[in-house]
Amino acid sequence: MREEILLGNGAIALGLMEGGCQVLTSYPGTPSSEILPEFVRLMKLEGVDAYTEWSTNEKVAVDNAFAAAVSGKRAACCMKQVGLNVAADSLMSAAYMGTTGGLVIVSCDDPGPHSSQTEQDTRLMARLAKVPVLDPSNPREARQMAKLAMELSERFKIPVILRPAIRVCHARQNLSWEPISGEGKRASFEKDPLRWAATPRFRFILHGELNKKLREIAGLFERLEAHNFHNLDPGKSYSLGIVASGVPYSVVKDILEEEGRGDVPLLKIGTPYPFPESLARAFMSQCEKVLVIEETDTVIEYFLREKERVLGRLSGHVPSEGELVPQVVHRVLEGAFKEMGLDPLGPGGDGQVMELVKGLDLPVRRPTLCPGCPHRAAFFAIRKGRAKTIFTSDIGCYTLGLNLGAVDTCLDMGAAITMASGFYHAFRQDGIDQSIVATIGDSTFYHSGTAGLLNAVYNDARFVLVILDNQITAMTGMQPTPGLGIRADGTQGRAISLERVVKGCGIEFVEVVDPYDIKAMGKVLKEAEAHVKDPQGGIAVIISRHPCIIAYREEAIAERKSVTVTEDCDQCNLCIERFECPALYVDDKLGRTAVNQAICTGCGVCLQVCPRDAIVEV
Amino acid sequence: METVNFVLGGLGGQGILFMTKILAQAALDKGINVMGAETHGMAQRGGSVVSHLRLGDVESSLVGAGRAHFLLSLEESEAYRNLPFLAKGGQLYANAGDNSFPKSEVKRYLDGIGAIYRAVPAGRIAMELEAPMSANLALLGYFSAFGQGPLSQEELRKTVDMVSPDRFKEINLRVFDAGFQKGREEA
Repeated sequence: MREEILLGNGAIALGLMEGGCQVLTSYPGTPSSEILPEFVRLMKLEGVDAYTEWSTNEKVAVDNAFAAAVSGKRAACCMKQVGLNVAADSLMSAAYMGTTGGLVIVSCDDPGPHSSQTEQDTRLMARLAKVPVLDPSNPREARQMAKLAMELSERFKIPVILRPAIRVCHARQNLSWEPISGEGKRASFEKDPLRWAATPRFRFILHGELNKKLREIAGLFERLEAHNFHNLDPGKSYSLGIVASGVPYSVVKDILEEEGRGDVPLLKIGTPYPFPESLARAFMSQCEKVLVIEETDTVIEYFLREKERVLGRLSGHVPSEGELVPQVVHRVLEGAFKEMGLDPLGPGGDGQVMELVKGLDLPVRRPTLCPGCPHRAAFFAIRKGRAKTIFTSDIGCYTLGLNLGAVDTCLDMGAAITMASGFYHAFRQDGIDQSIVATIGDSTFYHSGTAGLLNAVYNDARFVLVILDNQITAMTGMQPTPGLGIRADGTQGRAISLERVVKGCGIEFVEVVDPYDIKAMGKVLKEAEAHVKDPQGGIAVIISRHPCIIAYREEAIAERKSVTVTEDCDQCNLCIERFECPALYVDDKLGRTAVNQAICTGCGVCLQVCPRDAIVEV
Repeated sequence: METVNFVLGGLGGQGILFMTKILAQAALDKGINVMGAETHGMAQRGGSVVSHLRLGDVESSLVGAGRAHFLLSLEESEAYRNLPFLAKGGQLYANAGDNSFPKSEVKRYLDGIGAIYRAVPAGRIAMELEAPMSANLALLGYFSAFGQGPLSQEELRKTVDMVSPDRFKEINLRVFDAGFQKGREEA
């Protein structure tokens, strides 16, 4: 037996492996990114043979896993909640078609949000697609549910969603496990065009089959005592009961336990859809009112009948945005207890200290690009002299270019390009040649850049596109990209050439430049702009190529430069505000900028930045 | 065992997660169940990072307001930012200059809730040993000197030894020991 303190994402990887997962695909995205690497680590540890891949995007990941699941295998794919939007087309159709093996889709939610564009609730996507969804409360349950999801999927031939929230994914808990055999099924695909290539007429039949599966699964969920249970005393009646699921269940449970509140019964729902309605009705029959605590939207609350007896978001008792952290849950419980005339809850932190902390005027710690980051150098050159340019950008570390005034928009994956063409045409319609510089990372470009670029070329949009090629998916924790060709299990695949992809999209102007050389970058940008303005020209693409300072410390700094700031510094603060290297700071005693040698990487880019040449090499 | 709650604060890149890992592993090796919550993603790019660690049998990974028995902070401002977590009679250990810490209004509050607070120049200790990124171990060593909580200095040191990658093992232990020495002078 082994025991480890696993990250929630490791617990999910473990559960999938225990569920016999033979194929695992993923596209990285916080908070889901560690599931696949943990799975690969456990494969090696347990001697399990499985196929893993970092797919180019989430839709690609689902389709690949789905094909394995209709070959009779057990497959899974992992992504963040907004990734499931990208894969929504696949999900909706896969639900109708069903599987022959198992298909688990792990979609990780981000209440807060901590690291996402939205706080959307994957459980609603499951309801929309009509597939079962399991909602774990902590890593231990996530592991059990990952295995259960695989078994359910194979038994009912239906994709099953596991929806852990960030406090499951990035929680840590000690878990132990027995050796895993890793035996799996051999691939076999039985031709059945009426199912696997169903036309609308047959889709109607498949929809009926899907509904039948859901009714059977709902019956099963009514009796799934490991994950759906309550602590009512039979025959007793209560003024208030609580219905909770997912992470908020664990928070509520701990608070009630610590406060010794046996007078308030708790119903845990681990399977919000299909909803175990009889169980909920039985619970409600012994409670005058129930309070629903769930993240992040209203799912259970919608399913409960007799709304006049339900307290939750719809009644204004629970906040409709933000994470349900313990102090928020405490406040919600406090309010409901008071309203229902129950004994008050013990104190949950004091308001006085909140005021005290607010009054201290603590520095706002906004995230910044790392010292030595090649994106900083690229953005500095891009921003210089382009106050009126529209800067469309995208999702990754480089979104932080907004600190440098070089990012104006960030909609979704790939929108740097699609919004650039959209802006171009919107202004062009009024006879204005708006200058536009789009920035997108290499991984994001592979994810969803090409469709937008093809569209922009086809419709003759004009803008400069800078692909920030740091040869890694950095923000999510250094996953390899297709440009590198390293695969999820560390083996070498085939590297894709960014230049050739871009040329294949119909781009004639393609230049590769090292952004550490700000002057060279500036020169290429000017040439690119000339090409964009030339009636015979077109979209210009610059590949700004320099390895990520974190992933490739040695390669990124060819020659370490030791820098200092001389007395010529007149504190214009350009280097602090427009360059924003964390290693440069204002030394109040010296009355000028200084270098924090502990974090300076010696990239030497700042030597090109100071208008008074006060930053010098020693 | 009664649940023991830790909150660890600092900035991205200071090694909060490593410090949490040592405490968690030391507890597990003693047969105590552990549950924790970490910050990943964008905040790791220099933003405020906070990590929760709960020792005992709990369902949730998050420490509630006013529930932390121990607050360890690698940065003075982050110690203040995380003050609402500190329980009445809790203990605060911060990487800060020992004379100026804590600010007078904070001191009043801490005295009011009966908290114990200690400052150690963990960054300077690490810097003197030419390991500027290891303030986390200096703070942990310092904390271990007071024998507070369920984990002893020996247990924590053994875990540092065990979980440090080979090339950092020696320096990590030296920084931990230096923090411990500093603490022992005061304990």
